[in-house]
Amino acid sequence: MENVESITAEELHRKMNSGKEVVILDVRNETDYNDWKIEGKKVRSINIPYFNFMEEDEQVYAGLPKDTEIVVVCAKGGASDYVAEMLMEKGYKTWSLKGGMLAWSQFYVPTTVYLDEKLKIIQINRLAKGCLSYAVISEGKGMIIDPNKEIDVYIELAKQHQFKIEHVVDSHLHADHITGGPRLAAQVGATYYLSSEEAKGTNLKYEPLDRYDRIKVGDVHVEVLSIPTPGHTPGSTSFLIDNRFLMSGDTIFVGGLGRPDLGGKAKEWAEDLYHTVFYKLKDLPDDCLVLPAHYSDVREINEHGIVGEVLGKIRANNDIMRNEDKALFTEQVASAASMEKPPNFEEIVAINRGELQVDEERAIELEIGPNRCAVHHHG
Amino acid sequence: MADVFVDAKGLSCPMPIVKAKKAIDTLQSGQLMEVHTTDKGSMNDFQAWVKQSNHELIEAKEDNGVFKFIVKKK
Repeated sequence: MENVESITAEELHRKMNSGKEVVILDVRNETDYNDWKIEGKKVRSINIPYFNFMEEDEQVYAGLPKDTEIVVVCAKGGASDYVAEMLMEKGYKTWSLKGGMLAWSQFYVPTTVYLDEKLKIIQINRLAKGCLSYAVISEGKGMIIDPNKEIDVYIELAKQHQFKIEHVVDSHLHADHITGGPRLAAQVGATYYLSSEEAKGTNLKYEPLDRYDRIKVGDVHVEVLSIPTPGHTPGSTSFLIDNRFLMSGDTIFVGGLGRPDLGGKAKEWAEDLYHTVFYKLKDLPDDCLVLPAHYSDVREINEHGIVGEVLGKIRANNDIMRNEDKALFTEQVASAASMEKPPNFEEIVAINRGELQVDEERAIELEIGPNRCAVHHHG
Repeated sequence: MADVFVDAKGLSCPMPIVKAKKAIDTLQSGQLMEVHTTDKGSMNDFQAWVKQSNHELIEAKEDNGVFKFIVKKK
């Protein structure tokens, strides 16, 4: 396949952000495509399974643009090379995504959310899954919140932004992705924190998050406040900086509230969520920027490339949060939680609890698919 | 007993289906093809391909990491 030119996930992302339309021809089967695909505001996505191209039927090429570049994508890069070569022979301008969806799923984009002399906050976006991690940096020291399993991404970030990772935190026990927390902490000599509520029944080594009211990051007065926000999972923790930034984990999303049903105790936890939303967080100012751990729709990415929204807007948009009738609230939330759990969530939870070990190949396989953590409430 | 046997074990996508198609093209209507592959993506792909081409999937199973399909040509 020497003729076919391939591009990396990073190069594809650059094209997607260039302002011009990008045509993605996804050659996976329909079921897999409908489950999960590359999305973007400027992306025109076409799905034609690769075996359709084997039929030598000119009709298959009918919908494909001759004048625009086409990026061909498949699961691992093999079928996209095959189809890209056929397209090239027919005179189309094409690229094949190297490594396919597998490579895309391990691609992370860091964006600076905030910067002043004392504080830098970086949001690390794993586009394929909608998972968000954070680096809170001050005076050369840093805290990483919700790192994913590709820990090199965070180590690289620390090198680039010149800080030492001292604290690694998981806002809760994740069900959609494998945490990189313990491994990252071990590798860089940092402390790993998790709520002891989340760690109940496991043999994990961790520093109990619930023991801290604040964790100092750097030499300055910038402090991180733990606000236990049960209702997503019972030990869910959020982090507040200066009343200005709320890393809300999976409790409040830009597009809706968290999924209390994952523990099988939907009603109880929906009640906890009600309590959290209306009491614990009600004193936070409207201009506090909410930075969640997940998002499910590219529309949640704002014009600065960041997934985040001020609390006032979220309150305004989110009927649930304004609905102060407890019974109605808990019913709405418990039933709105879609029936679909994150793919492989039981196995992923077992791995994050330290109860199951898998090899790298299996780990990558388990993480294929979107996060499905957010409950949508927009009418 | 299949009329043609395609051993696609160890081959990655798209080769298993490329080979299967070549093989089934040599058969008469009603004849059977058996395909063995180890490529994990093949399950969904193979079933979609067979359905798409109007052939009949007689059997699809996994046996110790090997995916085995028996297809009857339309």
